[in-house]
Amino acid sequence: MKKLRFVILLLAAASIFAIHAQAQVIVIANPGVKATEISKNDLRDVFTGAATALPGGGNVVPILLKAGTVHEEFLQAYIGKNDTAYRAGWRSLVFSGQASMPKSLETDAAVVEFVAHNQGAIGYIGKATPHEGVKVLTVK
Amino acid sequence: MNRWIVGIFAMVLGTLPMAAQSIEDLNIQIHGYATQGFVYSTQNNWNSMTSSNGSPAWTEAVVNVTTQPEPKLRVGVQARYFLLGNYGNAIALDWADADYKVNEKFGVRFGKVKTPEGMFNMIQDIDPAYIWSILPQGIYEVATRTSILSHYGGVVYGTLRLPSKAGSMDYRVWDGERIIASNDPLLLPFAANGILFPSGQSGNMYGGTLQWHTPVQGLMLGVSESQNHQGGTATLGPFTGNGTVKPFQIPFYYGQYERSKFTAIGEYMRLPPNYTFTFTNGPTIPVVLDIRNWYLMSTYKLTEKLTGGVYYASSFNLQAPLGPARYQKDWTLSARYDVSQYIYLKAEQHFVDGMQIGFSPVGNSTLNPQSKLTILKVGVSF
Repeated sequence: MKKLRFVILLLAAASIFAIHAQAQVIVIANPGVKATEISKNDLRDVFTGAATALPGGGNVVPILLKAGTVHEEFLQAYIGKNDTAYRAGWRSLVFSGQASMPKSLETDAAVVEFVAHNQGAIGYIGKATPHEGVKVLTVK
Repeated sequence: MNRWIVGIFAMVLGTLPMAAQSIEDLNIQIHGYATQGFVYSTQNNWNSMTSSNGSPAWTEAVVNVTTQPEPKLRVGVQARYFLLGNYGNAIALDWADADYKVNEKFGVRFGKVKTPEGMFNMIQDIDPAYIWSILPQGIYEVATRTSILSHYGGVVYGTLRLPSKAGSMDYRVWDGERIIASNDPLLLPFAANGILFPSGQSGNMYGGTLQWHTPVQGLMLGVSESQNHQGGTATLGPFTGNGTVKPFQIPFYYGQYERSKFTAIGEYMRLPPNYTFTFTNGPTIPVVLDIRNWYLMSTYKLTEKLTGGVYYASSFNLQAPLGPARYQKDWTLSARYDVSQYIYLKAEQHFVDGMQIGFSPVGNSTLNPQSKLTILKVGVSF
């Protein structure tokens, strides 16, 4: 019985941690992007190269982080793939002539800077990163 | 036709430096991958390799350069080195195209472009893109894919969002010319009967693809159909003439279901070319094929780095004489291990019944109806 309680507690803690981790990533866009919110499906489509526009119009360009906790959390929460599988998907588009690899930047601050100054750019950063000059998209 | 298409493509390339302010503005990207395979087979040698002794004669290397001088325009070129047994051992132009995407609903690509038919044709040569070492050979034959991957011409493409949450529809429409080199393994069955194409084959082709991303999460249904017309000057001993194939349709019907770590794919394709060889002062020889192919495959991601898969593939030439040369059935077990995002390993075991594909009398003094094929591969990509 004690073991069962321990397992339940562990699962509860893990799920709280998972929710907490997801909440640490925010999706940002250039202020010129019309949308104020984005569905999980549309976000996945944009970041896997399946879509280049959001419903209601407006082309968007995904901007990635090269690595790190925020990048991994974003992929797990919204794409459902690890970094290796995710980049393999992009490579199949690149090697078949259907797309260019999205720009990958080193830091959250660099993503904010790029997204703020490039029309249609959409990226993700840690919640604590200052993000003036960009708009935050609510993920439905 | 391919010459003026490549000419226009070269003009577009030539204007890019003028349009760009700097190398940075050109957004130049260079990517590539290389794979090395090792094949061991029982009973029969596979695809001109001495695979019954174990053979490493399977190497591919690809380099790709793309530039995006403005958001809607992308220009790229990809070259490939391909060696499979006695086939290839040369560098070929995989594709070279300019792509102008007006919006999500409409884009156009022209030059030497990948032909977007079937489930895998666009990516069948991109080894890092899937777990398999070889795709079902009835539809995606590794030895002959170089010529059927792409065509000189164009592709119009786009995605339409359907009303009432009915999902979305990808469409692709293509037109152009397909060129098959004289030494392409695709022409080997003719060569085995003494019929040679000294200048290869060429002909117009066009077609379309629809892929419906249904409201059911992860379910995609697709259909492709192309019209093909091939021919060329042929020789048979002292006779010279023409080998032409009547225009014929190649239909593909396929579907894919992805959920979490699981993926399932099925596809059917029919290949019904009807050749007539007419030689001056010589014989007229009809060659009729009607090959029906289908497969079912599934993969499961066992861990972050390890994926396993199984497929069953069937290919029947209904016009061929009875016997094991008219069919091939293949049970396949496969595994892929991603060492890192740049390096991966593959291992695959085939249990093959029949010898329609890949098992030629050339290189095999006798052919056994059943054989096993073991393939190991290592790949790097960047």
